[in-house]
Amino acid sequence: MIAPDWLREDRLPHIYCTGCGNGSVINCTLAAVEEMGWKRDETAFISGIGCSSRAPGYILTDSLHTTHGRALAFATGVKMAKPDVNVVVFTGDGDLAAIGGNHFIHACRRNVDMTVICMNNQIYGMTGGQGSPTTPTGAFSTTTPYGASEPAFDLAELAVAAGANYVARWTSYHVKELTKAITTGMQTPGLAFIEVRTQCPTNFGRHNKLRSIPDMIEYLRGNAMLRAKYDRLVEEGADIPEGTFTVGELVRRRRPAMGVKQ
Amino acid sequence: MKLVIDESRCKGCNLCVLVCPYGIFQEGTELNTRGVVVPVLDRPERCTNCRLQHLYGRVLCGLCHMICPDQAISWVEEKPFEPHRVEVEF
Repeated sequence: MIAPDWLREDRLPHIYCTGCGNGSVINCTLAAVEEMGWKRDETAFISGIGCSSRAPGYILTDSLHTTHGRALAFATGVKMAKPDVNVVVFTGDGDLAAIGGNHFIHACRRNVDMTVICMNNQIYGMTGGQGSPTTPTGAFSTTTPYGASEPAFDLAELAVAAGANYVARWTSYHVKELTKAITTGMQTPGLAFIEVRTQCPTNFGRHNKLRSIPDMIEYLRGNAMLRAKYDRLVEEGADIPEGTFTVGELVRRRRPAMGVKQ
Repeated sequence: MKLVIDESRCKGCNLCVLVCPYGIFQEGTELNTRGVVVPVLDRPERCTNCRLQHLYGRVLCGLCHMICPDQAISWVEEKPFEPHRVEVEF
């Protein structure tokens, strides 16, 4: 098991469905935390509401399970009150992009020193599969029975535009790369935003002919394209298949940050 | 070292079957007491990490360990091989 002294083994097995990627993201985060050598007393995990936000409940540190969408607001408060605490925020796409969208862009603008891990499963998984702001165009869900007609949010690009210091995107299949990205994000002063595309075979896959877990993983792996390759294809003017998203480090910069540990 | 699947945690998602480069994990066929089809291990002594972790002093590969959403896969120490005296009767 990864990081046995960080995990509440008495709470396992957790509530996530069979094949859910959120457990892998917890593994990667704990591996990154162990690599950073943080102490348990100086770390706080903060989350909002949703499947992804159950994650701090399985981690043996101080944690806040806050109101829907307000995880970043609470995390900003924690960081302002105690700048010495390392803050990690777990949110989902419905939490971060839908109801907490304004908190998200303002946390990026203020560049508060914390690590935000967004488990983007492109649907509201916990409440029964309603379409979220990141549901891709044409995808089916409970509230979009004829296919989503609206374009989806690209959360990583939004964070780049709003001013986060480190932005990366990976999928829950790319565990090694994800661990490296989270570690780099934790080392970077300022807001580090890591978007993780996770599989949700139960609610997203069921409506989109991706019911089985290998199909769902293949969907993620097949649509992920490294950023360098994407840029090269754009330069060449080649066709980029629909539904492709870039993975890798999108930005790393040194804007002035707020609440950095002295 | 030895590869172990904790049957009390495994939910049978078979993600380890997808990622193992040696194909050690194979999809199981029988339900266990919790009603979950746990993957079976096919010649687990081939696992790189089991063979070489002590030699290199770090975790090698470890993809199944990282991707398992239920934290069910782990390696346990084995007792070193003890030489036995074998008498061969002709």
